[in-house]
Amino acid sequence: MPAIPSAVASITRPGEQLFTYYLLRALSTTFAFPVTMAVLYFRYHTMRYEFSEQGIRMSWGILFRNEVVLNYGRIQDIHLRSNAIERWLGLARIEIQTASGSSDSEMTLEGIPDVDAMRDFLYSQMRGAAGAGAKSGSDLASILQEVASQMRAIRMTMEQGNPRG
Amino acid sequence: MVSAIERKLLRWLRVPPEPAPPDGSAGSVLVFRAGRNYWRWRVLAWALAQAGVLVVVLLPLIVLAKKRWALPDSVASFWLAIEAILLVVYLVALFLSYHAQRLDYELRWYVVTDRSLRVRTGIWSVVETTMTFANIQDLRISAGPLQGALGLADLEVSSAGGASDKQPGSSRGHVARFSGVDNATAIRDLIVERLQKYRDAGLGDRDEPEATANQSAQELLDEARALRAVVEARYPKTSL
Repeated sequence: MPAIPSAVASITRPGEQLFTYYLLRALSTTFAFPVTMAVLYFRYHTMRYEFSEQGIRMSWGILFRNEVVLNYGRIQDIHLRSNAIERWLGLARIEIQTASGSSDSEMTLEGIPDVDAMRDFLYSQMRGAAGAGAKSGSDLASILQEVASQMRAIRMTMEQGNPRG
Repeated sequence: MVSAIERKLLRWLRVPPEPAPPDGSAGSVLVFRAGRNYWRWRVLAWALAQAGVLVVVLLPLIVLAKKRWALPDSVASFWLAIEAILLVVYLVALFLSYHAQRLDYELRWYVVTDRSLRVRTGIWSVVETTMTFANIQDLRISAGPLQGALGLADLEVSSAGGASDKQPGSSRGHVARFSGVDNATAIRDLIVERLQKYRDAGLGDRDEPEATANQSAQELLDEARALRAVVEARYPKTSL
Protein backbone atom coordinates (compact mmCIF):
# COMPACT_ATOMS: atom_id res chain seq x y z
CA MET A 1 0.00 0.00 0.00
CA PRO A 2 1.46 3.37 -0.97
CA ALA A 3 1.75 5.99 1.74
CA ILE A 4 -0.81 8.77 1.46
CA PRO A 5 0.28 12.41 1.12
CA SER A 6 0.83 14.10 4.47
CA ALA A 7 -1.46 16.97 3.41
CA VAL A 8 -4.30 14.44 3.26
CA ALA A 9 -3.30 12.42 6.30
CA SER A 10 -3.20 15.57 8.44
CA ILE A 11 -6.87 16.41 7.85
CA THR A 12 -8.88 15.48 10.92
CA ARG A 13 -11.35 18.35 11.25
CA PRO A 14 -13.42 20.43 8.80
CA GLY A 15 -12.30 24.01 8.17
CA GLU A 16 -13.75 26.98 10.04
CA GLN A 17 -15.60 28.24 6.95
CA LEU A 18 -17.90 25.26 7.32
CA PHE A 19 -19.21 26.71 10.58
CA THR A 20 -19.96 30.01 8.85
CA TYR A 21 -21.85 28.11 6.19
CA TYR A 22 -23.79 26.15 8.81
CA LEU A 23 -24.69 29.43 10.51
CA LEU A 24 -26.05 30.82 7.24
CA ARG A 25 -27.90 27.59 6.61
CA ALA A 26 -29.50 27.74 10.04
CA LEU A 27 -30.43 31.41 9.53
CA SER A 28 -32.19 30.51 6.28
CA THR A 29 -34.62 28.32 8.24
CA THR A 30 -35.85 31.48 10.13
CA PHE A 31 -38.23 30.23 12.83
CA ALA A 32 -36.58 26.84 13.10
CA PHE A 33 -33.22 28.55 13.68
CA PRO A 34 -32.65 27.36 17.30
CA VAL A 35 -33.27 23.74 16.35
CA THR A 36 -31.25 23.65 13.12
CA MET A 37 -28.44 25.68 14.69
CA ALA A 38 -28.17 23.24 17.58
CA VAL A 39 -28.05 20.26 15.22
CA LEU A 40 -25.47 21.89 12.92
CA TYR A 41 -23.43 23.21 15.86
CA PHE A 42 -22.92 19.73 17.23
CA ARG A 43 -22.46 18.30 13.75
CA TYR A 44 -19.63 20.73 13.11
CA HIS A 45 -17.95 20.32 16.48
CA THR A 46 -18.06 16.52 16.48
CA MET A 47 -17.06 15.99 12.85
CA ARG A 48 -13.85 13.98 12.58
CA TYR A 49 -11.94 12.66 9.59
CA GLU A 50 -9.31 9.98 9.46
CA PHE A 51 -7.52 9.26 6.20
CA SER A 52 -5.58 6.00 6.44
CA GLU A 53 -3.76 4.00 3.81
CA GLN A 54 -6.78 1.78 3.20
CA GLY A 55 -9.66 4.20 3.40
CA ILE A 56 -11.56 7.00 5.09
CA ARG A 57 -13.28 7.09 8.45
CA MET A 58 -15.72 9.91 9.13
CA SER A 59 -17.75 10.39 12.29
CA TRP A 60 -20.12 13.00 13.66
CA GLY A 61 -22.94 13.45 16.15
CA ILE A 62 -23.18 13.46 19.93
CA LEU A 63 -26.63 12.11 20.80
CA PHE A 64 -27.13 10.36 17.49
CA ARG A 65 -23.69 9.17 16.56
CA ASN A 66 -22.70 8.32 13.03
CA GLU A 67 -19.58 6.72 11.74
CA VAL A 68 -18.83 5.78 8.16
CA VAL A 69 -15.82 3.79 7.01
CA LEU A 70 -15.08 3.09 3.39
CA ASN A 71 -12.19 1.72 1.36
CA TYR A 72 -10.63 3.73 -1.43
CA GLY A 73 -10.82 0.69 -3.69
CA ARG A 74 -14.61 0.56 -3.36
CA ILE A 75 -15.22 4.11 -4.52
CA GLN A 76 -17.47 4.08 -7.58
CA ASP A 77 -17.70 7.75 -8.41
CA ILE A 78 -16.85 11.13 -6.94
CA HIS A 79 -19.14 14.14 -7.15
CA LEU A 80 -17.90 17.61 -6.38
CA ARG A 81 -20.90 19.78 -5.53
CA SER A 82 -21.11 23.41 -4.48
CA ASN A 83 -23.62 26.26 -4.54
CA ALA A 84 -22.66 29.91 -4.96
CA ILE A 85 -22.70 30.60 -1.19
CA GLU A 86 -20.36 27.72 -0.53
CA ARG A 87 -18.03 28.94 -3.27
CA TRP A 88 -18.02 32.42 -1.74
CA LEU A 89 -16.77 30.79 1.45
CA GLY A 90 -14.29 28.62 -0.46
CA LEU A 91 -16.17 25.42 0.29
CA ALA A 92 -17.42 22.43 -1.69
CA ARG A 93 -18.85 19.05 -0.82
CA ILE A 94 -17.14 15.89 -2.03
CA GLU A 95 -19.75 13.16 -2.35
CA ILE A 96 -18.29 9.69 -2.47
CA GLN A 97 -20.39 6.87 -3.92
CA THR A 98 -19.83 3.17 -3.38
CA ALA A 99 -21.80 0.35 -4.98
CA SER A 100 -24.32 -0.01 -2.14
CA GLY A 101 -27.95 0.43 -3.03
CA SER A 102 -28.66 4.07 -2.54
CA SER A 103 -28.61 6.99 -4.92
CA ASP A 104 -27.49 9.32 -2.16
CA SER A 105 -23.81 9.48 -1.50
CA GLU A 106 -22.40 7.09 1.08
CA MET A 107 -20.04 9.70 2.45
CA THR A 108 -20.04 13.47 2.04
CA LEU A 109 -16.81 15.22 2.93
CA GLU A 110 -17.51 18.78 4.05
CA GLY A 111 -15.16 21.61 4.90
CA ILE A 112 -12.09 20.08 3.25
CA PRO A 113 -9.51 22.89 2.79
CA ASP A 114 -8.23 22.08 -0.73
CA VAL A 115 -11.12 20.38 -2.46
CA ASP A 116 -9.45 19.92 -5.84
CA ALA A 117 -6.37 18.30 -4.31
CA MET A 118 -8.57 15.97 -2.25
CA ARG A 119 -10.59 15.05 -5.34
CA ASP A 120 -7.38 14.28 -7.23
CA PHE A 121 -6.09 12.18 -4.33
CA LEU A 122 -9.33 10.16 -4.12
CA TYR A 123 -9.30 9.72 -7.89
CA SER A 124 -5.73 8.40 -7.77
CA GLN A 125 -6.86 5.80 -5.21
CA MET A 126 -9.84 4.59 -7.26
CA ARG A 127 -9.79 1.33 -9.17
CA GLY A 128 -8.69 1.82 -12.74
CA ALA A 129 -7.23 5.28 -12.15
CA ALA A 130 -3.71 4.03 -12.83
CA GLY A 131 -4.77 2.26 -16.03
CA ALA A 132 -5.89 -1.26 -16.86
CA GLY A 133 -2.40 -2.74 -16.58
CA ALA A 134 -1.99 -1.93 -12.92
CA LYS A 135 -4.38 -4.52 -11.51
CA SER A 136 -3.00 -6.47 -8.58
CA GLY A 137 -1.85 -9.95 -9.54
CA SER A 138 -1.09 -9.05 -13.14
CA ASP A 139 2.48 -8.20 -12.05
CA LEU A 140 2.96 -11.82 -10.97
CA ALA A 141 1.44 -13.05 -14.23
CA SER A 142 3.76 -10.94 -16.35
CA ILE A 143 6.82 -12.07 -14.36
CA LEU A 144 5.84 -15.72 -14.77
CA GLN A 145 5.32 -15.20 -18.47
CA GLU A 146 8.74 -13.57 -18.75
CA VAL A 147 10.35 -16.56 -16.98
CA ALA A 148 8.51 -18.94 -19.33
CA SER A 149 9.73 -17.12 -22.41
CA GLN A 150 13.31 -17.14 -21.09
CA MET A 151 13.13 -20.92 -20.58
CA ARG A 152 11.60 -21.33 -24.01
CA ALA A 153 14.57 -19.48 -25.50
CA ILE A 154 17.01 -21.79 -23.62
CA ARG A 155 15.18 -24.89 -24.87
CA MET A 156 15.15 -23.67 -28.47
CA THR A 157 18.88 -22.89 -28.33
CA MET A 158 19.60 -26.37 -26.98
CA GLU A 159 17.38 -28.04 -29.58
CA GLN A 160 19.13 -26.30 -32.44
CA GLY A 161 22.83 -26.06 -31.76
CA ASN A 162 25.60 -28.27 -30.36
CA PRO A 163 27.16 -27.38 -27.04
CA ARG A 164 30.40 -25.44 -27.57
CA GLY A 165 33.70 -27.08 -26.96
CA MET B 1 -18.94 33.83 -26.65
CA VAL B 2 -19.60 35.19 -23.16
CA SER B 3 -20.91 38.75 -22.93
CA ALA B 4 -19.94 41.35 -20.32
CA ILE B 5 -23.01 40.79 -18.18
CA GLU B 6 -22.41 37.05 -18.25
CA ARG B 7 -18.80 37.54 -17.19
CA LYS B 8 -20.06 39.61 -14.27
CA LEU B 9 -22.57 36.92 -13.37
CA LEU B 10 -19.81 34.29 -13.48
CA ARG B 11 -17.59 36.30 -11.20
CA TRP B 12 -20.42 37.03 -8.81
CA LEU B 13 -21.42 33.36 -8.65
CA ARG B 14 -17.76 32.37 -8.24
CA VAL B 15 -18.05 29.74 -10.94
CA PRO B 16 -14.75 27.87 -11.24
CA PRO B 17 -13.02 27.83 -14.66
CA GLU B 18 -12.94 24.91 -17.04
CA PRO B 19 -12.30 21.66 -15.13
CA ALA B 20 -8.88 20.01 -15.27
CA PRO B 21 -9.06 16.60 -16.96
CA PRO B 22 -8.55 13.60 -14.68
CA ASP B 23 -5.20 11.80 -14.93
CA GLY B 24 -4.93 9.66 -18.01
CA SER B 25 -2.44 8.80 -20.70
CA ALA B 26 -1.07 11.82 -22.52
CA GLY B 27 -2.99 12.67 -25.67
CA SER B 28 -6.01 10.59 -24.71
CA VAL B 29 -8.05 13.51 -23.35
CA LEU B 30 -11.15 14.40 -25.38
CA VAL B 31 -13.49 17.20 -24.33
CA PHE B 32 -17.05 17.06 -25.67
CA ARG B 33 -19.53 19.91 -25.51
CA ALA B 34 -23.29 20.15 -25.84
CA GLY B 35 -24.45 20.41 -29.46
CA ARG B 36 -25.43 23.72 -31.11
CA ASN B 37 -29.06 22.62 -31.26
CA TYR B 38 -29.06 22.01 -27.51
CA TRP B 39 -29.06 25.80 -27.12
CA ARG B 40 -32.14 26.09 -29.37
CA TRP B 41 -33.82 23.35 -27.37
CA ARG B 42 -33.03 25.13 -24.11
CA VAL B 43 -34.33 28.48 -25.43
CA LEU B 44 -37.55 26.84 -26.57
CA ALA B 45 -38.13 25.24 -23.15
CA TRP B 46 -37.21 28.51 -21.43
CA ALA B 47 -39.55 30.59 -23.66
CA LEU B 48 -42.49 28.26 -23.01
CA ALA B 49 -41.92 28.44 -19.26
CA GLN B 50 -41.61 32.23 -19.32
CA ALA B 51 -44.79 32.56 -21.41
CA GLY B 52 -46.62 30.51 -18.78
CA VAL B 53 -45.36 32.79 -16.03
CA LEU B 54 -46.37 35.88 -18.03
CA VAL B 55 -49.95 34.62 -18.29
CA VAL B 56 -50.07 34.19 -14.50
CA VAL B 57 -48.61 37.68 -13.97
CA LEU B 58 -51.08 39.34 -16.36
CA LEU B 59 -54.18 37.47 -15.21
CA PRO B 60 -55.08 39.92 -12.40
CA LEU B 61 -54.74 42.78 -14.89
CA ILE B 62 -57.33 41.22 -17.20
CA VAL B 63 -59.66 40.62 -14.28
CA LEU B 64 -59.15 44.23 -13.19
CA ALA B 65 -59.94 45.59 -16.65
CA LYS B 66 -63.22 43.69 -16.72
CA LYS B 67 -64.35 44.59 -13.19
CA ARG B 68 -63.15 48.17 -13.17
CA TRP B 69 -66.71 49.57 -12.90
CA ALA B 70 -67.31 47.58 -9.69
CA LEU B 71 -64.21 48.73 -7.78
CA PRO B 72 -63.48 52.02 -6.04
CA ASP B 73 -60.67 54.02 -7.68
CA SER B 74 -58.27 53.62 -4.74
CA VAL B 75 -58.45 49.80 -4.85
CA ALA B 76 -58.02 49.79 -8.62
CA SER B 77 -54.90 51.97 -8.51
CA PHE B 78 -53.46 49.83 -5.70
CA TRP B 79 -53.92 46.79 -7.93
CA LEU B 80 -52.29 48.59 -10.81
CA ALA B 81 -49.27 49.50 -8.68
CA ILE B 82 -48.84 45.87 -7.60
CA GLU B 83 -49.11 44.78 -11.21
CA ALA B 84 -46.45 47.28 -12.24
CA ILE B 85 -44.05 45.97 -9.60
CA LEU B 86 -44.75 42.38 -10.64
CA LEU B 87 -44.06 43.23 -14.27
CA VAL B 88 -40.75 44.90 -13.44
CA VAL B 89 -39.69 41.90 -11.36
CA TYR B 90 -40.78 39.64 -14.20
CA LEU B 91 -38.75 41.55 -16.77
CA VAL B 92 -35.62 41.53 -14.59
CA ALA B 93 -36.04 37.80 -14.00
CA LEU B 94 -36.58 37.29 -17.73
CA PHE B 95 -33.33 39.08 -18.50
CA LEU B 96 -31.33 37.22 -15.83
CA SER B 97 -32.76 33.79 -16.57
CA TYR B 98 -32.00 34.19 -20.27
CA HIS B 99 -28.35 34.77 -19.46
CA ALA B 100 -28.40 31.96 -16.91
CA GLN B 101 -29.68 29.63 -19.65
CA ARG B 102 -26.97 30.87 -21.96
CA LEU B 103 -24.27 30.25 -19.33
CA ASP B 104 -25.67 26.85 -18.41
CA TYR B 105 -25.33 25.90 -22.07
CA GLU B 106 -21.83 27.33 -22.41
CA LEU B 107 -20.48 25.90 -19.14
CA ARG B 108 -20.80 22.18 -19.81
CA TRP B 109 -17.80 19.95 -20.18
CA TYR B 110 -17.82 16.24 -20.86
CA VAL B 111 -14.21 15.08 -20.54
CA VAL B 112 -13.12 11.56 -21.53
CA THR B 113 -9.60 10.16 -21.01
CA ASP B 114 -8.40 6.62 -21.69
CA ARG B 115 -9.29 5.49 -18.18
CA SER B 116 -11.89 7.84 -16.76
CA LEU B 117 -14.45 10.52 -17.48
CA ARG B 118 -15.40 13.80 -15.85
CA VAL B 119 -18.62 15.78 -16.32
CA ARG B 120 -18.96 19.39 -15.14
CA THR B 121 -22.29 21.24 -15.26
CA GLY B 122 -24.18 24.03 -13.53
CA ILE B 123 -23.70 27.69 -12.64
CA TRP B 124 -25.53 28.22 -9.34
CA SER B 125 -25.05 24.69 -8.14
CA VAL B 126 -21.87 23.41 -9.76
CA VAL B 127 -21.55 19.64 -9.98
CA GLU B 128 -18.48 17.77 -11.15
CA THR B 129 -18.63 13.97 -11.51
CA THR B 130 -15.57 11.77 -11.88
CA MET B 131 -15.79 8.08 -12.73
CA THR B 132 -13.16 5.52 -13.77
CA PHE B 133 -13.95 3.15 -16.63
CA ALA B 134 -13.09 0.24 -14.33
CA ASN B 135 -16.31 1.02 -12.44
CA ILE B 136 -18.70 1.60 -15.34
CA GLN B 137 -21.63 -0.79 -15.54
CA ASP B 138 -23.75 0.39 -18.46
CA LEU B 139 -24.33 3.13 -20.99
CA ARG B 140 -27.69 4.47 -22.05
CA ILE B 141 -28.67 6.83 -24.86
CA SER B 142 -32.07 8.48 -24.74
CA ALA B 143 -33.74 11.18 -26.82
CA GLY B 144 -37.29 12.50 -26.95
CA PRO B 145 -39.04 13.22 -30.27
CA LEU B 146 -38.12 16.91 -30.23
CA GLN B 147 -34.51 16.15 -29.25
CA GLY B 148 -34.41 13.52 -31.99
CA ALA B 149 -35.60 16.05 -34.58
CA LEU B 150 -32.83 18.42 -33.44
CA GLY B 151 -30.24 15.63 -33.67
CA LEU B 152 -29.62 15.63 -29.92
CA ALA B 153 -29.44 12.84 -27.36
CA ASP B 154 -28.50 12.32 -23.73
CA LEU B 155 -25.83 9.78 -22.91
CA GLU B 156 -25.93 8.33 -19.40
CA VAL B 157 -22.98 6.44 -18.00
CA SER B 158 -23.79 4.44 -14.87
CA SER B 159 -21.62 2.85 -12.23
CA ALA B 160 -22.80 0.19 -9.78
CA GLY B 161 -25.32 1.07 -7.10
CA GLY B 162 -28.95 2.03 -6.83
CA ALA B 163 -30.17 5.19 -8.49
CA SER B 164 -33.69 5.63 -7.21
CA ASP B 165 -34.65 8.82 -8.98
CA LYS B 166 -34.89 8.51 -12.72
CA GLN B 167 -36.07 12.04 -13.40
CA PRO B 168 -34.27 13.69 -16.28
CA GLY B 169 -31.77 16.38 -15.47
CA SER B 170 -30.98 14.90 -12.09
CA SER B 171 -27.32 14.17 -11.68
CA ARG B 172 -27.76 12.42 -8.33
CA GLY B 173 -26.50 8.95 -7.79
CA HIS B 174 -24.20 6.82 -9.83
CA VAL B 175 -24.76 8.47 -13.18
CA ALA B 176 -22.69 10.79 -15.34
CA ARG B 177 -24.92 12.53 -17.89
CA PHE B 178 -23.71 13.86 -21.22
CA SER B 179 -26.76 16.07 -21.82
CA GLY B 180 -27.67 17.35 -25.27
CA VAL B 181 -24.74 16.01 -27.27
CA ASP B 182 -25.09 15.69 -31.04
CA ASN B 183 -22.66 12.76 -31.32
CA ALA B 184 -23.96 10.45 -28.57
CA THR B 185 -23.35 7.23 -30.51
CA ALA B 186 -19.77 8.24 -31.35
CA ILE B 187 -19.04 8.99 -27.68
CA ARG B 188 -20.72 5.73 -26.71
CA ASP B 189 -18.55 3.80 -29.18
CA LEU B 190 -15.43 5.53 -27.87
CA ILE B 191 -16.24 4.64 -24.26
CA VAL B 192 -17.17 1.05 -25.18
CA GLU B 193 -13.86 0.71 -27.02
CA ARG B 194 -11.94 2.00 -24.02
CA LEU B 195 -13.93 -0.29 -21.74
CA GLN B 196 -12.62 -3.37 -23.60
CA LYS B 197 -9.52 -3.27 -21.40
CA TYR B 198 -11.54 -4.01 -18.29
CA ARG B 199 -12.84 -7.53 -17.97
CA ASP B 200 -13.87 -7.52 -14.32
CA ALA B 201 -17.29 -6.69 -12.93
CA GLY B 202 -16.32 -3.25 -11.72
CA LEU B 203 -17.00 -4.20 -8.10
CA GLY B 204 -13.55 -4.47 -6.62
CA ASP B 205 -13.13 -8.14 -7.54
CA ARG B 206 -9.61 -9.47 -7.89
CA ASP B 207 -10.46 -12.90 -9.34
CA GLU B 208 -9.51 -12.31 -12.95
CA PRO B 209 -5.86 -11.23 -12.41
CA GLU B 210 -5.21 -14.23 -10.12
CA ALA B 211 -6.60 -16.57 -12.76
CA THR B 212 -4.16 -15.21 -15.34
CA ALA B 213 -1.32 -15.63 -12.81
CA ASN B 214 -2.31 -19.30 -12.45
CA GLN B 215 -2.40 -19.70 -16.22
CA SER B 216 1.06 -18.19 -16.45
CA ALA B 217 2.35 -20.51 -13.74
CA GLN B 218 0.91 -23.50 -15.64
CA GLU B 219 2.61 -22.29 -18.81
CA LEU B 220 5.87 -21.96 -16.89
CA LEU B 221 5.55 -25.54 -15.58
CA ASP B 222 4.89 -26.88 -19.10
CA GLU B 223 7.93 -25.03 -20.37
CA ALA B 224 10.10 -26.39 -17.55
CA ARG B 225 9.01 -29.97 -18.40
CA ALA B 226 9.75 -29.45 -22.10
CA LEU B 227 13.16 -27.97 -21.24
CA ARG B 228 13.97 -30.94 -19.00
CA ALA B 229 12.99 -33.34 -21.79
CA VAL B 230 15.35 -31.59 -24.20
CA VAL B 231 18.17 -31.56 -21.66
CA GLU B 232 17.68 -35.24 -20.86
CA ALA B 233 17.64 -36.17 -24.56
CA ARG B 234 20.87 -34.26 -25.18
CA TYR B 235 22.76 -35.53 -22.16
CA PRO B 236 21.80 -39.22 -21.81
CA LYS B 237 22.26 -40.58 -18.26
CA THR B 238 24.56 -43.38 -19.58
CA SER B 239 27.24 -40.83 -20.55
CA LEU B 240 27.71 -39.75 -16.92
